[in-house]
Amino acid sequence: MQYEVEAQPILSMNSVEVLYDNVMLAIKGVSVQVEKGKMVALLGSNGAGKSSTLKAISGLLKAERGRISRGEIKFEGTDITEMLAQKRVEMGICHVIEGRRVFEHLTPDENLTAAAPMGMSRSALAAEKNRIYGYFPRLAERRNSQAGYLSGGEQQMLAIGRALVTQPRLLMLDEPSLGLAPFLVEEIFSILQKINREEGMSVLLVEQNALAALEIVSEGYLIENGRVVMHGTAQALKSNSDIKEFYLGGGEGTNFHEVKHYSRRKRWLS
Amino acid sequence: MFYRLSGVRHADYVSDSRIYKVPTDRNLAVFFLIIGLAAPFIIPSLYLNSYMLPWLIWTAAALGLNLVTGWAGQLHLGYAAVMAVGAYSAIHAARFGVPWEFALIIGGLASSVIGSLFAFAALRVKGLYLAITTLAMQFVMDWVLSHSPTISGGSHASLQSPTLTLLGQEITSDRAYYYVAFGWCVLVTIFMLNLKRTGLGRALVAVREKDYAAAILGVNSFYYKILAFATSSFIAGISGAILVATFFFLAAPEQFSVNVSIQVLAMVIVGGLSSIIGSYFGVALILLVPGVVNTVVASVSQWLGMQVNVETLAHIPNAVYGALIVVVLLIEPLGLGKLYGNVRDYLMVWPFDQLRK
Amino acid sequence: MDWIFLAELAINGALTGLLYSLFAIGLVLIYKASSVPNLAQGGLTMLGAYVVLALSRDAGMPLGLAIPLAVVIMFGLGFGIERVALRRLAGRPIIMILMMTLGLDIFLRGTTLAIWGGTSRSIELGVSYEPLFMGDILISRIHLVGATVAIVLLAAFMVFFRTRIGIKLRAIADDYMASWSVGISVERGVGLSWALASVVAVAAGIIWGEIQGVDQGLSLLLLKGLTVAILGGLDSILGAVVAGIILGIVENVGADFLDPLVGGGSRELIVAAVLILTVMIRPHGLFGRHDIERV
Repeated sequence: MQYEVEAQPILSMNSVEVLYDNVMLAIKGVSVQVEKGKMVALLGSNGAGKSSTLKAISGLLKAERGRISRGEIKFEGTDITEMLAQKRVEMGICHVIEGRRVFEHLTPDENLTAAAPMGMSRSALAAEKNRIYGYFPRLAERRNSQAGYLSGGEQQMLAIGRALVTQPRLLMLDEPSLGLAPFLVEEIFSILQKINREEGMSVLLVEQNALAALEIVSEGYLIENGRVVMHGTAQALKSNSDIKEFYLGGGEGTNFHEVKHYSRRKRWLS
Repeated sequence: MFYRLSGVRHADYVSDSRIYKVPTDRNLAVFFLIIGLAAPFIIPSLYLNSYMLPWLIWTAAALGLNLVTGWAGQLHLGYAAVMAVGAYSAIHAARFGVPWEFALIIGGLASSVIGSLFAFAALRVKGLYLAITTLAMQFVMDWVLSHSPTISGGSHASLQSPTLTLLGQEITSDRAYYYVAFGWCVLVTIFMLNLKRTGLGRALVAVREKDYAAAILGVNSFYYKILAFATSSFIAGISGAILVATFFFLAAPEQFSVNVSIQVLAMVIVGGLSSIIGSYFGVALILLVPGVVNTVVASVSQWLGMQVNVETLAHIPNAVYGALIVVVLLIEPLGLGKLYGNVRDYLMVWPFDQLRK
Repeated sequence: MDWIFLAELAINGALTGLLYSLFAIGLVLIYKASSVPNLAQGGLTMLGAYVVLALSRDAGMPLGLAIPLAVVIMFGLGFGIERVALRRLAGRPIIMILMMTLGLDIFLRGTTLAIWGGTSRSIELGVSYEPLFMGDILISRIHLVGATVAIVLLAAFMVFFRTRIGIKLRAIADDYMASWSVGISVERGVGLSWALASVVAVAAGIIWGEIQGVDQGLSLLLLKGLTVAILGGLDSILGAVVAGIILGIVENVGADFLDPLVGGGSRELIVAAVLILTVMIRPHGLFGRHDIERV
């Protein structure tokens, strides 16, 4: 696996364990690094621990009675393991949570206002809104209708836009493609890529849709059962035969009658 | 250790759906049943009558509310009104000359009918709005009770309960009152224990978790909501009637006011939603502790020679009662039943869980 | 039909109704900012009135000092309530939160009465009891003062919910998790809403205490406040104003018709009936938000 080590990473997570309710161990020693300006994907199946990883980084674990029981998380060199979620947002980490949870009874415009830091001046906020509407012209058209009635794609765009208002340097997205039509996924991903390119914003992306995700990121981590089982550049992951078979579909076994599934267990599980 | 699990295997569904899956639980239940039966001979009659008796009757009532709130998930803030319907119907029937056995059933049925009216609110709204509607219905019932002399019994708005007679026996002694309450509480408890295992119980839980999802599965949520309200109201009615017949002896509208509705709900929630043992704990805590605290405060202040304002003393139980609700919800929102469950789970594997660490 | 008498009933009803609105703001504020039904407003109102009394009558402060001080105390208390009682219940089912506010109400009432006793007292605001005549219509001065206070507060809160902090509070009511995710301090927001509701409780406590005396009767306003809040739509401040006026008129005029028929005391019945009808016919009230439920 070739993987060039660059300058200091914006986020580094070292063997973090997450415990829910003091009993449920959701992730068991995950280490993830995100370099400045890079897009990184966390891949894995349902319940693998991807969302818990993001929540550990953004500090939202507490809301679900979870906590980090071991390990440390550093953001730009500062230890944030025990920091309040709100403080982390101020530092520049923003988490777009799963399921497009916009503020339904507010208009898109108010959604953006709600996310603005208290110190942001009125004119800066207006400029910020214009920038976001520039990325998502569909939102601009519906800026004063109720957010709950936006379509799924528009809600996802609003959720991302709302996160951008907080001026993140690391944007984390939890399954932005969930339940969206393929062309919308493409649209959203290309906008993400554009934001990443133009503003140098680092992105950590959790995805089920590995194929789409690996198209835009530069490297990826594969998480299974709460552990990182594989890490490499997007190219390397795409060409890995295990990944191909279990996450991308296809693989070698084109004739499904002849594929012996028992012999092709995910061998890193054993 | 205390709850030995070794040798307990459930090889088929019948054994897995037994009421007591662990023999210790059954033994405990039998133990407390015996204690309950022997209580009149152990406990002085003053305590029997002023603590045990109301505790058991209120537990039966709380279990009924637990059916509709804990199992079926429908908030109910008008439970005392339903109890009042049962109490007044039964007493009027008994005064009219109907034998008490039938009078109690008449009370239960009357409560069922009125209680089902509350269900119609539940068909339209849920959650907070249901709670508030039932609260408003309670106010209406209160008003009707206190403004119709034919129901509430004349100008003093109090109705003397005729002597309770069951199975040809006049019930007049403290022990006899106790056994009536005890029998009713055991009956309701057995019913509730079995409810979990029936289709009705499962349907109610499905309605609680998500009513429209239950409807998609073919559970007629309309029917089950009404059934839940009717059944719980039946229990409420008879509990109300027994409460008046064996404890108050005199029915008055204040005995079934809004505050009482809130109190029963507090018992259920403090005890733990859909926990049967929890209802016993909850009633004990809410009903008995404020009075005990008050007695303690009074005697301690006397002992210290301090002069405590009579008014202060009169309001301490209320403050304690409110504080109890707040504190229990803070410690464990799922109530005392859950706390008990935690202890039980801990003891089940004790001391072997220590080995894992 | 005596039209002047009817108009007098209606106008006085509307003024009383605005006083119900004043009480109901406490519920609307908290619901709008955290989706929590605040059934402790009765206890808070009572406590607010008693604190003013304790500062002015017992400690001998002038009202001009006692009232601002009471506002500060209650503001802090509101934050305290959130910190102690509600923070741990965030995200729990509505029934537990409902029970928590009921428990708080009982606790506040019990504690207030245990400390200061239940004898009815008066704040003595200095508003003249001399009736005011508008043409032939008789109007109570204290009701007029109260209604003015109510309208000023309601207008202030309407503006408040358009400001950035107000929008953040509305965002919290919509989705706690999403609010945390964009750095809104949910705890502080909910605390602020309780603090503001406690301040409103002081205003309501003073006005109502002046009208009916400071005693435990103040906590009985809860049913009327709830009715106003629900009729108006629980999260609509404009709704609370309109609903207050409507309920006041309906109650006053209705009681005048009904009382002779049923032998008095029909006010509570009318209020309860309005509440039940509202929930059955239009649960989200006159101006309330529709909840969007997606399967």
